[in-house]
Order: sequence, then C-alpha cells, then structure tokens
Amino acid sequence: MTTSEPYATALLLVIFGLLMAVSAVFSRASGRLGVPVALLFLIIGMIAGREGVGGVAFDDYRFAFRLGTVALTLILFDGGLNTPLSAVREGARPAAVLATVGVAATALLVAVGARMLFGLEWMHALLLGAVVSSTDAAAVFAVLRSSGIQLKRRVGATLELESGLNDPMAAILTLSLTEALSRGEPLTWHLALEVGMQLAMGGVLGLGIGYAGRALLTHVRLPAAGLYAVLTFSLAFLAYGLPTLVEGSGLLSVYVVAVVLGNGKLPYRTGLIRIHDALAWLSQVAMFLVLGLLVFPSRLLQVAWLGVGLGLLLGVLVRPLVVTLCLLPFRFRWKEVLYISWVGLRGAVPIIFATFPVLAGVTGADALFHIVFFIVVVNSLVPGTTVKWVTHRLGLQAHVPPAPQAVLEIASMKDLHGDVLPFYIDEASAVAGSSLADIPLPAGATLMLLVRGDELVGPRGDTVLQPQDHVYVFCRPEDRALVQLLFGRLEEE
Amino acid sequence: MKIAEFLSPQAVIPELTARTKAEVLRELSQALSRAHAGLRVERVVEVLQEREKLGSTGIGEGVAIPHGKLGGMVQLQASFGLSREGVDFDAIDGKPTHLFFALVAPENSAGIHLKALARISRLFKNPVFRAAILEARTAEDIYRLIAQEDAKA
Repeated sequence: MTTSEPYATALLLVIFGLLMAVSAVFSRASGRLGVPVALLFLIIGMIAGREGVGGVAFDDYRFAFRLGTVALTLILFDGGLNTPLSAVREGARPAAVLATVGVAATALLVAVGARMLFGLEWMHALLLGAVVSSTDAAAVFAVLRSSGIQLKRRVGATLELESGLNDPMAAILTLSLTEALSRGEPLTWHLALEVGMQLAMGGVLGLGIGYAGRALLTHVRLPAAGLYAVLTFSLAFLAYGLPTLVEGSGLLSVYVVAVVLGNGKLPYRTGLIRIHDALAWLSQVAMFLVLGLLVFPSRLLQVAWLGVGLGLLLGVLVRPLVVTLCLLPFRFRWKEVLYISWVGLRGAVPIIFATFPVLAGVTGADALFHIVFFIVVVNSLVPGTTVKWVTHRLGLQAHVPPAPQAVLEIASMKDLHGDVLPFYIDEASAVAGSSLADIPLPAGATLMLLVRGDELVGPRGDTVLQPQDHVYVFCRPEDRALVQLLFGRLEEE
Repeated sequence: MKIAEFLSPQAVIPELTARTKAEVLRELSQALSRAHAGLRVERVVEVLQEREKLGSTGIGEGVAIPHGKLGGMVQLQASFGLSREGVDFDAIDGKPTHLFFALVAPENSAGIHLKALARISRLFKNPVFRAAILEARTAEDIYRLIAQEDAKA
C-alpha cells in the first residue's frame, strides 16, 4: 500500500472513522448491559490493534500520553461545566477528603497488597498504587445514566466531585514517583509538600483563570456564535497548560475553571454546553481507542493473575475500607457509604497515567501498563454490571420519568434574568388535574409550553394538566422554590 | 383563605423527635390523623412520600411543605412540626430543615390545594416570622404566631 500523501492521511481517517462509528453505534448496547461504554471502546481498540484482527501497528506512547492529556482536559472541563454550585456545596468536603487522603491511602494500600501478595518491588508497587488511585467521573455517570438511575443528591454530588478532584492528586503522585524511580532517588517527605504545593497552585490559578475567563466571556462581543466555543475551548487548554508550566496541578485547574465558568453567566449557554458535551464524548472515544491499540493481548496473559488479583483487592477491600474511613466524619448513612465504596469505577485515567512511566523509561513499566489495564477492567466491569442491582437493593434510586418528545431551549447571547424550568407532571404533583387558571403562579411567571405525547399544546387558562405531561415554566430565579413546590419533578436536561 | 380553617392547635408539634426525612413525614402524618379522626396514618405517609419522590418539598431557608392528595377527604387538612436541631430533608438549598408544614387535600380540590401551598410558602418567606417560630416553646405559641402572621397579609 502506498504511504504517500494524501493517501496516508486518508487511510488514517478511514480507520479512525470506522472505529469511532462502531464505538458510537455500539454504545447503546453496552449501556443496557451495564458495561461502561468506555470499556467497549477500549476493547474495540484492542481488536483493531496489531495483535487483533485489525492489525493496526501502533506503539507510540508519547502520542497516547498527549492525546490522553488533551482528552482528559476536555472531559474534566465538560464535567466541571455541568457541576452546579449546590453540588459543590454539598459534596465538597467529603469529596475533598476522598480525593486527597483517600487517594493517598488507596495508593498505599494497593502498594502494600502488590508487595505482600505478589512480591512487586516497593517502588513499582507504589507507582502502581498511585496510577490506579483515582476514580472516573465519566465512567461513573455514564453507567448511572444509561441504567436510568438517579441518585440521592448528596451521594451523587460526592461521587461526582470526588471523581473530578481525585485525578489531580493521582497525577501528582504518579509523576513524582515516576521521576524518583527513573532517577533512582529515594522517596522523602518532600513528596507530601510537593503534593500540597501543586494542588494549591492548581486551585489558585484555576480560580484566577476561571474568573478572568468569565469576565472575558461576558464582556467580549464576537461576530459569530461559534467563536464563543473557540474561546471556552482555549480556556480549557490554558487552564491545563499554564499551571502545569509552573509546577501546579493542571488537572485541578481545569476542573476549577470549568466549575467557575459553568456557574456564571455564559453567552449561548445551551449551545456551549452541547459543544463541550460532544467534545467530551469525542475525547472518550478517541482516547480509549488509542489506549486499546496500545494494549498487547499476549503481554496481558503474562500478568493476568496479578492484574485480576490486584483489581479485586482494590475494588472489594481497599476502596470500601478507604471510603468508610474517609467518610466517618461526615455522617453518611451506612448504605450510602457502601454505595460510594462500590461504584468507585476506574476509567481511562489510570491507563493514561500508566503511559507516563513507559515514556520516562522506567524499567518494568511495560508490565505495569498491562497490569493497570486489568485493574481498570475489573474495576469497571464488576461495579458497572452490578450497579443497577446494588442501587435497587440499597434503595438509593429515584425513578425517572420518560423524556419528552420535544425539548424547549432558549439560545441567547446574554444570560437573561429568568429561568425556563422543565417539569414532568406526575400523579403526585400538586398541579396534576388542575386547570392553568387555578395555578397561583407568582407574578411574571408563565407556563410556556405543554408537551403531551407527540403533541405540542398551546397552554390556555382552561387547559387541564394531566399526569405524564411535560411542561415548561418560565419564572424569575427568586420564584423557583414556589414553582418547584407546585409542579414537582424537575426534568433533567 | 385562612390557615386556621385547616390547621388546628392539636396538629402542631412543638418539638419533633424525628431525625430523618422518613420519620418527619410519619410524625406529621400522626399529628394529622390525631387532629382529624378518619385520616389513616399509613395512607397519609404514603401520599406524602409519593410527592417527595418527585423532588424534595424542602423549599429552602429551613422550610418544607410536604403535601399530597387523598381520596375520601372532605376538606384541606394540615399539621405543623418544628425541629430545632434540623433534619436533612434534601432541601433545594441543601441546608437542614427546621419548619415543616404538611398539607393533605381532597382528590378534586386542586385549586384550593394550590392556593394553600402558595400562601404557606409566601408566609414562611418572612425571616422575622421564621425566627419567631424557632423561639416558640409550646404548640399554642406556635399556633398563635402562625395565625397572627396569617392575619397580616
């Protein structure tokens, strides 16, 4: 086959186009089985790889690390944009403990297990522990969403924030340990200091970039709506790049910037959120495919026992123990503790981190990479396939109504003073069975649109709200509480 | 519409013993059935819980208005409970809830039910009123405060 341009590029696009299409199309099936979609992408990558049927020769760890970092940045950014301030308030403290002390303890305990049970050298064991110590937000929420589960707020908020906040910590530990290993230096207490410094730097710079970005977005006037997305995109890159250049945690900064932006006034908010959602998905697919290509099934076999053993150790023993201890001061119910322990899904992050020691030329890093693969697979398959069952057994789910046939959104360059709230009318909603004229809406509020089955109904005074209707209510932010009280179930966007 | 028409002093609990959301709903339901013979506690708990499943009726600032509709009732009935310690009610502002106003309405009284909800939520928007209730020690004091505030608007 010819390798001259444009054929080489065309070939690459065909391969990736096909892989991405297959990944996207099969994601539905995997959701139904409770298998995290990401895992499916990873396996498709493996099948396409050199030792699979695809025969794509790829072992560029540097490229994988770069792509992984960009992808992770975009995924964390999207996660941050969608994290409401209320979740931050509720989940911040338990999540912060889980994301710092919890990550360190997890890394340490996995290391002890790897050393005691499988005889790894201490430094390798520690590195391994650090690499697999963070949970994956995307994986956790993809599984929850696709199995139609809605969690109690505080539990959901804690899980979500934890997974956004623990990647930075795991990254710092991994990078520091890798450096120590490749230079042959012993570990000292400086590591703790280093971790604190990097987190502080990442957090502070993140706040700075976040507020500066917010001011920029609200004041700048761009000629086309699409350019606002370019601006948020650039903020995401800067958020990672700038702190990292000055030894701060880039990942923490990305998350902080996105939370600050997401909770402020955004021009073309709905559009921007959509775009970043799409980018996050694209990142997921691309990242897992590439990581899948890096995995060699023959080398997997050599570390299968070790990998599965450590994977189970992490999921069944270490994670529950660490979570229980970390959450002790926060008065969670035992069911909730159990739940948070169980759904500590691992995703791409450990696999990306595992490329770093390989890049740094650490001896035995290749074996480590393949062990990590197993740990991730075990810790997404086991919780992923059981999460639905576990949620129901513990009674932590809230049932979710069907989505409406039509969605009403307002696209506006400015943030307008007013909310459009989507509601699902349940039998138990106070407004069910009453006519619109009977609903004591606050001044200035109105029912904008009614979606009944396949029909759009123009709301009139004598229109009677029926169970299973979807309605859109416009109101001022200060009247939200009353509107929610009357209408009941706010619909997820 | 006056709150006294559907809230009686017997249905006011000056000190809730409940510490969880489920316990609060039960205690409020018991107060309702005490004040109005014929209301079965189990049924009331059930309708209140059905509504909570849609989203908490904790409207923030320490106030919750659990409500529901029940077949076979003649008119709107209410109970009130106070928890000085506060209960995690999944309120929309994430803060603990102290003041609970439970409301059950007949199946076909949608209009009155909604008006009562709006009225109660407006009443409890007043921070001075909320603080005064938190200071009250007896059911009679609480009842009097509510009636007074209700007479103002």
